[in-house]
Amino acid sequence: MTDIHTLSGAYALDAVTDIERAAFARHLQQCAACRQEVAELTETAGRLGGATATAPPNRLRTQVLAEVGRTRQLGPQRSARALAPAPWRRWTLAVAAAVVVLLAVGVGAFVEEQRVRDAQHQSTQAARIEAVLAAPDAVLHTSAGPDGTGRVTLVVSEARNEAVAVVRGLRSPGVDRTYQLWMVGDGRATSAGTLGTAASGGTVLIEGVRGQQAFAITNEPAGGSRAPTPPQLATITLV
Amino acid sequence: MTSSGARLESGSIDPPGLDDLLRRVARGDEGAFANLYDQLAPRVYGLIRRIVRDPAQAEEVAQEALVDVWRTAARYDPARGSVVSWVLTIAHRRAVDRVRAEQATAERTRRVAVADVAFDDVVEAATTRFEQQQVRRCLGSLTDLQREAVNLAYYRGFTYREVAELLETGLPTVKTRMRDALIRLRDCLGVSIG
Repeated sequence: MTDIHTLSGAYALDAVTDIERAAFARHLQQCAACRQEVAELTETAGRLGGATATAPPNRLRTQVLAEVGRTRQLGPQRSARALAPAPWRRWTLAVAAAVVVLLAVGVGAFVEEQRVRDAQHQSTQAARIEAVLAAPDAVLHTSAGPDGTGRVTLVVSEARNEAVAVVRGLRSPGVDRTYQLWMVGDGRATSAGTLGTAASGGTVLIEGVRGQQAFAITNEPAGGSRAPTPPQLATITLV
Repeated sequence: MTSSGARLESGSIDPPGLDDLLRRVARGDEGAFANLYDQLAPRVYGLIRRIVRDPAQAEEVAQEALVDVWRTAARYDPARGSVVSWVLTIAHRRAVDRVRAEQATAERTRRVAVADVAFDDVVEAATTRFEQQQVRRCLGSLTDLQREAVNLAYYRGFTYREVAELLETGLPTVKTRMRDALIRLRDCLGVSIG
């Protein structure tokens, strides 16, 4: 039995990180026995979920039905099992799994930002981001934004010496202001780029993460600063 | 009436007609969704409330999860399990995402390490309904360590790494324990698919 196979229980219980979930989902595409086991264990976990039924407040019904009235539905997804897995298809699935992770951490801002950049740069950048997300040693860190608004996610691959920062839903930094990202090591802060003027979120590929001890965000004048201006609005400790 | 020791006949716990209802929801039938809501909202809300704890937040997350059910109804695949489990999987994921985003890992770990994670706490809401009796009985058939691992992961939203830390156990042991626990529960509850 391979090591990843034993993750089926944790996977069915949602006791995995987004990265591990994507990796395991990729494994499932190639392992019919695992799919069956995971289906059964997920069904079993669902039974646990049914044992805590509590009547919700009446207004929830009104709210949900109103929301449903203005929410567009998604189409059916083609089943991966319906087709024989040709090599190109497996590759596509691997990418799809990486994209799932990307979606989970906020691809919206990423796509918008990238759209304005040139196509070549875009595909290189996207490939590198995917590579970090799919790296076997990738570690996921998350933190709430300042005042609990928004979310900061950092995926670090020591082996690639790269990280991907996904920031979403922060308050606007202000007109002519930008959020700036920093890597901190040995008491020195190195700029890891800005999110752009007035942007409240974005995705940034960060190079040179080895030896860094922390990640931080500050609010700076448009264009960014050479050194961080206190206070640090979100901090993630890496070691 | 079946005795409490009996296994459920079928692998599915869906009330009759539920999958048909979901098919209608998938085609955009809002009336069918209202009907589905009435059947499943207490389970969705109850599970989310248990994990998220704060009632106002639980309501918010329940709304997100139930609208997700509407949005993705066409993606339900009966070959993978019951409608109830599919819906609760969506609800569970939403709740877990919320608690993980809310609090830094270390802080959460500390808080729960102090809190009591007693078995009764998990099943306090279990009533006399047959299905819930079954779950209670089957949870009781686990070893203490298996049960703790399942409680911390499923009802508290911890990752297996965090569970390992809380239980002061190695990662492979925790992974195995979770898998063994679910396999035992699966057999005890008579869950089968396909």
